[in-house]
Amino acid sequence: MSELALIQWRGALALAGRETRRVLYLWTQTILPPVVTALLFLAVFGGALGKRIHHIEGLPYLHFILPGLLVMTVAGQSFANSSTSIFQAKNEGYIDGVLASPINGWQLVLAYMTGGLVRSGLAALVVGAAASPWTGGPDNAGLLVIALLFTSLIFSALGVITGVWADTFDQHSFIANIVITPLALVGGVFYSARSLHSPWSTLTRIDPLYYLVDAARASSAGFHESSVAISLAVAAGVAIIAFLTAATLVTRGWRLRP
Amino acid sequence: MTDALRIERLTKTYAGGVKALDALSLVIPDGSFFGLLGPNGAGKTTLIGGISGLVRIAPGHAFIFGADAATDLRARLLVGVAPQEIHLDRFLTTRELLTYHGRYFGMRRREAQARADELLDVFDLGGKANVKPNRLSGGMRRRLVIARALAHRPRLVVLDEPTAGVDLELRHELWRYLRRLHAEEGVTVLLTTHYIEEAEELCEQVALIRAGQMIAEGSPDELIEKAGVSTLEDAYIEAMRQ
Repeated sequence: MSELALIQWRGALALAGRETRRVLYLWTQTILPPVVTALLFLAVFGGALGKRIHHIEGLPYLHFILPGLLVMTVAGQSFANSSTSIFQAKNEGYIDGVLASPINGWQLVLAYMTGGLVRSGLAALVVGAAASPWTGGPDNAGLLVIALLFTSLIFSALGVITGVWADTFDQHSFIANIVITPLALVGGVFYSARSLHSPWSTLTRIDPLYYLVDAARASSAGFHESSVAISLAVAAGVAIIAFLTAATLVTRGWRLRP
Repeated sequence: MTDALRIERLTKTYAGGVKALDALSLVIPDGSFFGLLGPNGAGKTTLIGGISGLVRIAPGHAFIFGADAATDLRARLLVGVAPQEIHLDRFLTTRELLTYHGRYFGMRRREAQARADELLDVFDLGGKANVKPNRLSGGMRRRLVIARALAHRPRLVVLDEPTAGVDLELRHELWRYLRRLHAEEGVTVLLTTHYIEEAEELCEQVALIRAGQMIAEGSPDELIEKAGVSTLEDAYIEAMRQ
């Protein structure tokens, strides 16, 4: 490794450390709210309503929705962290200190994505641990981790793109409210796609999040509607495309360097 | 000897058609204290953005100790910038801010921490090491920005109007720090300013720019003599009139 490459990696690791630190420092804003929200979903849908719904696709409702809730939490928190952190840094001007450093554009994207990975990972861990007395642990922890990791990579990269693009807080919130939340809600977290009629079934199946929810469900509840291998392959492809897009935009200085 | 900064026909036109730099050329020798004077909109901040990688520049070139600022990321290691507007990471304390800055530029953690402590001492900020920047006075924040520019031990330090909008007392205090920085750190300093007396007081060489173009260059005495006037202020006014 050349001396410059070593310097760049040290810089990128420092920025990733700063992002992690921000997540932990602001834990009442970054970790606590998604955990409370997910636990409320579990209590209401799994507990109160679950007693009436009983089973979906042969699974207790709580077991059915938990993997989807984990994916939804990871997607939302990954996106929120990367987009907010980079938007704040840009809006308040202190991103210039990072942009003037020798860190490569793609390393800068990775560093900002690290915050999203840490935040969503911690939130998912707490939610999973809190639900485990009722649902037990996942049958295939490795598969669950992979599904959540791809979810986080995709949405962290989309968060970076949004943070770089947004010039105002309204623009930033617009993407979260109009794109991310609907994707999470129609992604089959609370229902089985094959139990729906068209167009709802089709709508669910064209949502990329559905395949990640399905893969996560296969890992912890054993039930899935589509091929897990294809779902993960597509997720990996989408993650790579999202990362490359973010890296290209940041390297070119799109909306960062006039 | 390699020049600290060599600018060759640098041009920058912003979206919307505003031409901030117009084939500007400039050479700053290694070790000098160089002043860049010009009115608002002359292109000083754009030039600094181009040098530090914050503004995309083309056509033309900016070489920092021989490294192309636009294409060679090693150039970033050689330059430290204290911007006119102060933007500091509000999640970090004063000491952390200097440490992280050093680390972004590749310093190891301990080395960056030691450098941060050294700079806090030099700029009399030791007592505020664990304070967030928003709790500092205007003068302290200004000193912190200059200290941050030095954190990674650059060979060229660019100070963009470091005394703009500060009172006379603080301005003289900052001059003291700038002289000390030049003498003790042994760095080349590029200072942009609106204040003629500041350039006269600190700079060995001065360049006057207007509308993105170089209009005069030399030592303060040379500029005065060339304009046939008695002060640098008169030489500046004369040059801007032409």
